[in-house]
Parts: sequence; structure tokens; C-alpha cells
Amino acid sequence: MAEGLSGSLAQIPLADLLRMLGAGAQTGRLRLTSGLDVGDVFVDRGDIVHAESDGTMGDSAFGRLLTWPNGTFMFEPGITSIDRTIEKPLDVLMAESAKAASEREAIRRVIPSTDAIPRLVRELPMDAITVEAGDWRILARMDGRTSIANLAFELGFEEPEMVRHLVRLKNAGLFELEIVQSAAPAREPAQRQLAGPQFFQALIGAVADAMGPLAEVIVDDAVEGMGFTRATLPRDAVSSLCERIAAEIRDDTHRIRFQQTILSMLRSRAA
Amino acid sequence: MEQGLTQLSAIPHVGGAFICDNRGDVIVSSSPAVLATVTMSAMGREVGRIVAALEASGRAGSRLDFTYSNWRLLAVDLDDGILLVVCTADVDMSFVRMNADIVLTGWRQDGTVQKRLQRHRVERHELVNRSAADAAVRTAWRAIEANGH
Repeated sequence: MAEGLSGSLAQIPLADLLRMLGAGAQTGRLRLTSGLDVGDVFVDRGDIVHAESDGTMGDSAFGRLLTWPNGTFMFEPGITSIDRTIEKPLDVLMAESAKAASEREAIRRVIPSTDAIPRLVRELPMDAITVEAGDWRILARMDGRTSIANLAFELGFEEPEMVRHLVRLKNAGLFELEIVQSAAPAREPAQRQLAGPQFFQALIGAVADAMGPLAEVIVDDAVEGMGFTRATLPRDAVSSLCERIAAEIRDDTHRIRFQQTILSMLRSRAA
Repeated sequence: MEQGLTQLSAIPHVGGAFICDNRGDVIVSSSPAVLATVTMSAMGREVGRIVAALEASGRAGSRLDFTYSNWRLLAVDLDDGILLVVCTADVDMSFVRMNADIVLTGWRQDGTVQKRLQRHRVERHELVNRSAADAAVRTAWRAIEANGH
């Protein structure tokens, strides 16, 4: 039944598709495409054994693929994977994915946006609260003006890690959030989100792969050419920076590979 | 080709993309089409004339970025045609251009795509032959020559 099976995820959701392949004890690769994103799910005699998506593998890759609202699929029978990164049945994977989505939603209810500005409460909601040393670093930097994203940058946290800390502190009633309207950053340039050190680390790695050991110099020259430094480059200028660097790569193969890496990175940052 | 256009259309703030030959006839469009065929054809024809005029004046460029109050248009020269990407004003054009570069590189290496484009080949010099040029082309030509771009 599976020979040449292809279609749209909007018409047949991934879970239904995998149930069909499971019922038919099929073996092969299910390739999913959504825009420029590509993901693979391998099934072996109906069981899901491996998934890959956007540089991740296993349960997390599978969970990511489940969230794709649309796209296309193509099942190629007989193609197997030597990797075995998934051992759970489909129902368990679905339940875990739903739980993760529910947790993300719960976090979103507490911290709706990393553009929001945390401000310490004037009075504690209880007599005594124990604060961990890591959390205190965050509390000590709250000045009522700096957004969560900028606090994360200043403290060297990845945003998801920062949000986990803040959920704990917010639930303890230690700070309030001021939600910044979208027009505010335009009026207040200081609140513009920055590209951040993690971005530059990844960019320099990609440039080094394409252009060799002078990557740091090339990146710094390009940033300077745009009138910024690594510490001041805003997040909405990273595409422009990457395009500027890509234009320096004369070899087509290297340039395309660099752009693919960068675009994949930018898409995952935007997700 | 359709897959490449679909990839471009999936970028945030991109409405759609299409390819015209140098005369403006639509060769292929993303689905659903971003604009009526007659509109795409008119856009392709006008951009084709601009590209041809720039080429004839020795100022050829492989990419043109048109910015309007509510939208933006990226035009990429394919020699035998023009790729047009229709975007809203707030699009991240660098992101679009890098994606277009990847798609175009794939097309350049794909013999089927090249044959498909060549079937629609209309030599550009035919479009900018002064005796064949209509009033609009002659006006555009004079403006280009006068402004030195």
C-alpha cells in the first residue's frame, strides 16, 4: 500500500499517517517537508525507530515534527536507518508531546514574552522566601527597565533557561511583569533585542567551515561595516549581516552550504 | 521549479513568487498564485524591460529590489527569464535573498529547469532594439541615460 505514498499533512496529520504505517507493518522512511524545513521519520515493521529534524534526533525531533501544521509527506518503502533513537510506541510519544506542549503553554501564561520587563514587587507575598544563588543573580539585575531578553543576554543565559528561572521566581511572587507593546521598541531603541553571544558563536563556526580560520576577523569586519559591534548588533539585523558575509564567499558550494546552515539557525531562533 | 517557488512563498511576509520570460509571459507561479495572471504578466514585462534596458546600457545587475509603501518586490535575473518574489513591506529581505540564492543555485544545476526556461527564451536584445521599442521603453531608456544609472 505504501509504494509512492505522498500527500499533504493538512489532509492527513502525521499521527494518522504513522498509525496507517503501523497497521500495515510498513518499513521505510517518511520524509516531511514544510517550506525549507525537512524532517524524516523511520519506521521498521510499523514501529517508529528514528526521527531527525533541524539538526535534532529522537524524541525531540519527533515532537517538533508533530507540531508542523502543514507541509507534505512522502513515504519511501524499504529505506532504513542505522540510527535507533526512538523506542517508545506512537501513543506514548503523542502523550509526551502533548504534555510538553501543555508545559510550554503553562510557561507562556506566566511569561508571555521575553520582551516583557520584570520589576521587583514592593512587598513580599509571604514572611520568608528562600532564593537560590542562581536566581538571586537575576533578581539583583532587575532594574524595572531591562527586558527579559536583554537580562538573559547580560547574564549569559539562553532564553529558555532564563524563562525557567523566572517562572519559579514569578510563581513565588517576587516580581511583576510589564508587557511592552509592540510599538514600544521603535520608540525606545534601547529595548531592541540583541543578536547575543550564542548567535555569534554559531555564526563564527559556520563562517569558519566556509572560509577558514579568519572567521572571527571576517565576522567582526562585517559587523563593523554595518556600524555595530558584537555587543550592539540588534537581532533584526542578523539576516543582513549573514547576507553580507555570504557575499564574500566566492565558491558557490561553500556559499550555499553556509547560507543553508545560517537560514536553518535563523528559522530555529524564530520558532 | 514549483518546489523552489513553494519554498520561497513559505517565508514569513512573502505573498508568493513567479517566473516570467523576458517578454513577461508567466512560465510558472507558486500555488495559489499570488496575483492574477494578467497582473503577474504586466509586472514581469515591465521588470523585463528594466533589466533589458540596464543590460543594454552596460549597467546590468542580477538582482533588483523594488520598495513601495505597502509592499516590496524582489526581481532576480535568470537570463532566460526573471524570478519575481512579492513581499509585504515588513519582510526580512536579506532572508528572502539568501533563500532565493539557494533555490536559484539548485535550478542552475537542474537540466530540466534549464530546458524549461530555454523553451521560453526571448533574446533580450530584441526587447531593447530601438526600432522595436514602444514609447514606454524609450521613456525608460532616456531616464536611465539621463540619470546615469
